[in-house]
Amino acid sequence: MATIVELPRLSDTMEEGVIAKWHIAEGDKVKRGQVIADIETDKATMEYESFDAGTVLKIVASEGDTHPIGTPIAVLGKPGEDFEEALAGAGGGSKAKAEPEPQEEPESTEEPEPESTEEPESTQEPEPEPAAPSSDADDRVAASPLARRLAHEAGIALSTIEGSGPHGRVIKADVDAAIEGGGGGGTGTVSDGERTFVTRPDTPMKLSQMRKTIARRMGESNAEIPHFYLTIDLDMAGAVAMRTQLKAALPDVKISYNDMVILAVAKALQKHPEVNAYWDGKTIVRRGDIHVGMAVAVDEGLIVPPVRHTEQRTLSEVAGITRSLGTRARDKKLPPDEMTGSTFTVSNLGMFGIEQFLAVINPGEGAILAVGAIRDEAVVVDGALQPGKRMRVNLACDHRVMDGAVGAQFLVTLRGYLEQPLAMLA
Amino acid sequence: MPILQIREALREAIDEEMERDDRVFVMGEEVGYYNGAYKVTQGLLEKYGEQRVVDTPIAEAGFAGVGVGAAMAGLRPIIEFMTFNFSAVAFDQILNNAAKLRHLSGGQFTIPMVFRGPNAAAHMLSSTHSQAFESFYCGFPGVKVVSVATPYDAKGLLKSAIRDDNPIIFFESEVMYGVKGEVPEGEYLIPIGQADIKRPGSQVTVITWGQGVPITLEAAKMAEESGIDCEVIDLLTLRPLDRDAILQSVKKTNRAVLAYHGWPYGGTGAEVADLIAREAFYDLDAPVERVCYEDINFSYAENLEELAIPSPKQIFDAIAKVAYHSL
Repeated sequence: MATIVELPRLSDTMEEGVIAKWHIAEGDKVKRGQVIADIETDKATMEYESFDAGTVLKIVASEGDTHPIGTPIAVLGKPGEDFEEALAGAGGGSKAKAEPEPQEEPESTEEPEPESTEEPESTQEPEPEPAAPSSDADDRVAASPLARRLAHEAGIALSTIEGSGPHGRVIKADVDAAIEGGGGGGTGTVSDGERTFVTRPDTPMKLSQMRKTIARRMGESNAEIPHFYLTIDLDMAGAVAMRTQLKAALPDVKISYNDMVILAVAKALQKHPEVNAYWDGKTIVRRGDIHVGMAVAVDEGLIVPPVRHTEQRTLSEVAGITRSLGTRARDKKLPPDEMTGSTFTVSNLGMFGIEQFLAVINPGEGAILAVGAIRDEAVVVDGALQPGKRMRVNLACDHRVMDGAVGAQFLVTLRGYLEQPLAMLA
Repeated sequence: MPILQIREALREAIDEEMERDDRVFVMGEEVGYYNGAYKVTQGLLEKYGEQRVVDTPIAEAGFAGVGVGAAMAGLRPIIEFMTFNFSAVAFDQILNNAAKLRHLSGGQFTIPMVFRGPNAAAHMLSSTHSQAFESFYCGFPGVKVVSVATPYDAKGLLKSAIRDDNPIIFFESEVMYGVKGEVPEGEYLIPIGQADIKRPGSQVTVITWGQGVPITLEAAKMAEESGIDCEVIDLLTLRPLDRDAILQSVKKTNRAVLAYHGWPYGGTGAEVADLIAREAFYDLDAPVERVCYEDINFSYAENLEELAIPSPKQIFDAIAKVAYHSL
């Protein structure tokens, strides 16, 4: 049976690799452990030692080619053996599929088309299987049995220890060093001469793919996108009144203020297509569709499922969609194609009493609206003091895509829709 | 303390036991008038006469069987195989009579006898005379199996073997009869079933026996020069295993290498590796390594034979590997 040599994962963050150099040619005999190629990862060029022995039947990947991990790059077997079937069954990039990062991105707008290339399978990060003597996520970490036991006894997650053994195997010396270095070595005390304080060690956490993605993308966003911020205070008395009326008129439809904001944003984007746009590295790309995404907090982080074609929806439609998306997102039942594709994001922290905040733009979008709580406030109307309803929103804009005036005009339009909400329904 | 060769230490053991107990006798090819193919029995015929030092025809099945019968009748025979390669002819007597009669007779008979001779590869004897029999004789119940590598162990263990009421397979080495070492004057016994730490150490346990012992000690020296402190355990008794000695050492060092003259498939090496994997799993910091014969029939050609036998360098490499030394 021919053995398919797949592009290996040579670093934690490696998603794809380049065959920098082949050390073997078709027809060569390969021993186990023999260096067969240099592979360029996201970090370095590393030697790839064969896990198998055999004759090189075929070199599938050429030098210089970039492939996702798991892609067949060569075939080993017996001379003359037919390997076509094995190769056909290998399925390019099968391991890459198991790596859910692209699907899990909380904000993904790489593709303007909502029905983009995401594949529905393999959305969830595989749950580590519990094993008796190990703790939480340690099962996937290569470790000697002794290291596993010592780490367990010391209460250190193996995943936090850098392995120095073959193929990154965590060995006793690594665990000893971690204990020495205080990596989870338990609590202690420290005294300033007068009082004694309890000290506790820092604990590096095992990150979910979602958390890793958020960290990477938000970091990129803040580093690359020149943000500017515009804040406006909206009179929500009309919106409150309309919602009360709708509640009475349509008891089966539960409409939230956020639904009204989402629809108002969509209508405003329709009038200001320059805000429904993003910087693709070279130029501004205006979105053809309006998919307003709503930021939903879930256990592992944050996702932004979009209400597709928002501007063409009714308010009750929007309400139904956001309710369904929110529930399923929190239950982890949202398929990836429903998680991605927003063209503009609304993030609302009003339910926590947050009056105002500044959000970070999702890479691939031009702006994000941060929505605060509706406040009961004394307001001056025609020179007279009276009770009022106010809500502050902040628009974070990509200065490469738009200037202050454009953002301000968008907010003025948005104010119109939310202060006279009937206009949305017209 | 007197310095003796292994053959002299063995001779002292036989001599002392023959003197102590007149039921003890020696039988085998060339043990009498020729003084032994490897001179282990030199002088014994002169001292004890033909009744107790019996030259046999070249008929291993026959004299092994006579030995079993004599043991059943109350004598304590020492059967010398010129080499254990020839014991293959007597295998049925050992497997089905010596090892079974105590069981088959419901304990009415004991079989207090020793089968002794050189085992495993020597030098340029080709495939039929270069075989390691430890995996065969350890592979069934009813016998104990001993393998010695020093004069001290040879004497102390052979005396215990002669006094044991069970059939004992006693392995020596053709190339090691001239190995010298200190042997105390006067009587001493080494209990069967106890391993010996030939070199104490803290970082890697190397388990060996027989011809493996000297090359392992050499490898341990090489390791020391590289800063790796090895503990070398000579099993001495291959069946029953001294489990405590093995596990205690591995639990201390967290690493184990097996180095021995024997084929890789099955046998004592595999048995010990299995023991460590099951009983000391969470004390292991590296996979157990084995250094032994290539899985082939031996060549007469010296260069090819050398390639099949483990070298100190190969053992050192395995030690370095489990110690993650090259990393």
